Amino acid sequence: MKYSYIRPRKKSIFTPELKLLSTFFSISLFMLLLTYAFLLFKDYSFTNDLKNTQKVNVQLHAYLQEMKEQIIYVEKEKVLAQGIKTENAVLRDSIRNLFDLVPQRITLSDALLDKNSLVLKGITPNKDVYNFMLQAPLRSIFHQTYSSFYPAGNGWMYFVSTNYTDEENHED
Amino acid sequence: MKINITRPSLYMIILSIVLLIFVLLFSFLVLIPKGKEYRKERIEVKKAEKALRQYQDFHDKTAEDLKALQKKNRNIIIAFDTAFNQEQFEKQYKGYFSSLHLSKLQNRLKDDEFVSYEVNATSHISSPKSFYDFIEALNKADWIIGVNFPITFKRDGELIKSSFTMKVYYADKNTTKEKPKASQPQGL
Repeated sequence: MKYSYIRPRKKSIFTPELKLLSTFFSISLFMLLLTYAFLLFKDYSFTNDLKNTQKVNVQLHAYLQEMKEQIIYVEKEKVLAQGIKTENAVLRDSIRNLFDLVPQRITLSDALLDKNSLVLKGITPNKDVYNFMLQAPLRSIFHQTYSSFYPAGNGWMYFVSTNYTDEENHED
Repeated sequence: MKINITRPSLYMIILSIVLLIFVLLFSFLVLIPKGKEYRKERIEVKKAEKALRQYQDFHDKTAEDLKALQKKNRNIIIAFDTAFNQEQFEKQYKGYFSSLHLSKLQNRLKDDEFVSYEVNATSHISSPKSFYDFIEALNKADWIIGVNFPITFKRDGELIKSSFTMKVYYADKNTTKEKPKASQPQGL
């Protein structure tokens, strides 16, 4: 039997080599798990981002629809207002042209303006003045012109002039 | 040949193999698929964000267009939203006539999104020019008003008695949508 002269050491399973190895693997495992945790967090974050993006998209879509409807409505208002203003201006010019058409020697007592007709009543020194100075220009404007006269008593003549335009042509 | 391995070395080898297998399995079965998923999702999110940015730009442009349109047609919009006031109208335009009387003819003629009603006006004017000036002033009125046929002018002593109908238009509140607010959706 052999005897050792050194003092017996307490033997442990955790040798310095095993400790080193364990440390190395622990760090490796920690890094792996950290990476996994990062990926899980990112996955959660991406899912949230996508949901948020979709939500904002839906909101934007609703706002856009409302704005488009508003634009269409304002455009309609603009077109209608401009149309009315134009019609008013045309009407004003038509009336102005009509009164400019009446010569000094003829005096009007009534004028009825409708969409496709014009009725004028007044007094003229004689038929010729009326025919040359008022009926001729009216004929060039209206498609049908009818005139009737009756004496005023002082040598002058009362007249009633009824004028029509064909609606189809007018609309054209 | 006999391999002499001490017990601690054997533990070390076994532990190393177990850990290596765990690392390999964890990497190939969990980490790599998750990483691929991450890359795919990152591309998807970037795409969605890009599309959203474009949509947001389009939204902002539309909002600017609407604002510009509303600013440009402010008077028209206000005129359509203003309720017709007969007394105010008479007060405002009686200067063009020697006398002006309005009477409501027909209420609420619905035309698409607009409502109109007709007003009959009888007036006395000293000359047709007053009537032309009145129509010109009507185009700058607080309301949207169109003068309609038939129009009659009748001599009444030194004055001209005129009679005409006017159509007053205003926005139908039931069909008019609330104006979109300037608020922006919360971004990412």
